[in-house]
Amino acid sequence: MIWAKEETLPRAEIEKIQLEKLRQTVAYIYEKVEPYRKKMDAAKVKPEDIRTLEDLRKLPFTYKSDFKDNYPFGLFAVDKKELVRYHASSGTTGKPTVVGYTRHDLDVWLNNVARIACMGGATADDVAQISFGYGTFTGALGLHGGLEKIGASVIPMSSGNTNKQIMFIQDMGVTLLVATPSYALHLGEQIRERGIDPKKDLRMHIGLFGGEGMTEPMRDEMHRVWGDQFICTQNYGMSELCGPGVSGECTELCGMHVNEDWFIPEIIDPETEEVLPPGEHGELVVTCLGKEALPLVRYRTGDLTKLMYEPCKCGRTTCRMENLSGRADDMLVIRGVNVFPTQIEEVLFKIEEIGPHYEILVERKNRLDVMTISVELIDDRLLDSYASLSKLEQRIKSALKAQLGLATQIKLVGPNSLQRFEGKAKRVTDLRKDGL
Amino acid sequence: MKQISVFVENQPGSLMRVTSALNEAKVNIRAAASFDTPEFGILRLVVDQPVKAKEYLTSKGFVVRVQDVIGAELKDEKGNLNQMLKILAEGNISIGYIYSFVIRENRAPVMVFHSDDNEKARGVLKEAGILLVDDEEL
Ligand SMILES: [Zn+2]
Repeated sequence: MIWAKEETLPRAEIEKIQLEKLRQTVAYIYEKVEPYRKKMDAAKVKPEDIRTLEDLRKLPFTYKSDFKDNYPFGLFAVDKKELVRYHASSGTTGKPTVVGYTRHDLDVWLNNVARIACMGGATADDVAQISFGYGTFTGALGLHGGLEKIGASVIPMSSGNTNKQIMFIQDMGVTLLVATPSYALHLGEQIRERGIDPKKDLRMHIGLFGGEGMTEPMRDEMHRVWGDQFICTQNYGMSELCGPGVSGECTELCGMHVNEDWFIPEIIDPETEEVLPPGEHGELVVTCLGKEALPLVRYRTGDLTKLMYEPCKCGRTTCRMENLSGRADDMLVIRGVNVFPTQIEEVLFKIEEIGPHYEILVERKNRLDVMTISVELIDDRLLDSYASLSKLEQRIKSALKAQLGLATQIKLVGPNSLQRFEGKAKRVTDLRKDGL
Repeated sequence: MKQISVFVENQPGSLMRVTSALNEAKVNIRAAASFDTPEFGILRLVVDQPVKAKEYLTSKGFVVRVQDVIGAELKDEKGNLNQMLKILAEGNISIGYIYSFVIRENRAPVMVFHSDDNEKARGVLKEAGILLVDDEEL
């Protein structure tokens, strides 16, 4: 099923909608949001200079750092009393990236998620278990609201507690799973270990995955674990843009359809910042259209992909994004949570007993991400007893947990044993191959 | 008596790197103990020149701690370790760890231990006539 007629318009009509909304959006931010006005003035561009979609290129980029510099409300365009919801995601340092929604924004957002759920094959008959962590992240409540819109029954399970997850899947006849693909694989294997055959014994037939990329080997593995009846699609979004609902795979599995009447995607060369022609690979830049609370123009997502404009067999005419192939920056996605090494650094620098150097190792064990951070012990007082060393480890772990919302492993090493770098340090080793 | 504690990672050769550094510095090892945890270990040593040992190891990039421990000489007779531990238990002193000398050159064995109250431990052992060993005798 196709949720909205805007998904199937001829290109000329999609572009007409985009241009009209773009001009409104640019006039709106120039009037309402001071940091945008300042940037546009500096770039000598006025709202009336935007006459064609090509003119989008005249506008300055917006960066994640703009959220930090204007924390918490500086980029908001409406009075705080107009807001009906806040969400937040990882910032590059201690403060999160906070986003807000008016009632209209929520409605647009959840309708966009409803489109994505339909792309992945969901209908009103589905019983959907949301196994994303709830809380300030947009993933859980986004899919939750979108699936409710199409009339599916939603179980707000949240993450963790595998036994309870399995009990609900069995007892409630769950047909649709919302999770990170790695957690879905973990859960599927746990189900098999209990002697349950998902294809024969369960009603599960749809997986809507997000929070991290799903590679093709992961999708194959998903079928092996859950059975070939399991339709696995992934979708894309980030809290700054709204949350999930920016784009999603249809069941033809040939890229993620962008909801183009609400988002204009561009691909740029992250180094030169030049816009690249369709089909070229580079950093995704997104302009949100018609957002009231937190309009966002030319946002540098940091995600690397390419865009395909040929109409799809599914009937949709909206352009498609290829599977993300990586990041333009050093952001990591750990168990669906975005992690910036700078966040880790900030925590470690405050702990006096360890040196300033560190290394991050990311592996996937038993399907789940494990992040190990090596730090150099420099304070000899801790050698009085094992207890003092363990206490230090615990202290680092809980400080990181508070900052990242994630459990980490700490490895204490001797001084000078970590590699020193001249110039740009390479502190992260990611051993996850093809997501498996 | 002084003990040096050295932070070592759990990997092949990590203890040897400490002992060979001490060899280079011409420091003699009298007693050694290490206990493993999954990730790291503390190598505890009694050496003849603890200050020099710390200086040299630190210059080689090790984290080293010099600590006060008790060296108690045992007469080479049955039941003597038990006897010493009994004295400490009666003095309500709890022992953190205990190990013994590896080299004693025909002299009586020495137990090295660390307790929650080293001063009190020294007192009760002396009172019981147990010979305590000083750094000078190493
Ligand atoms: Zn399609």
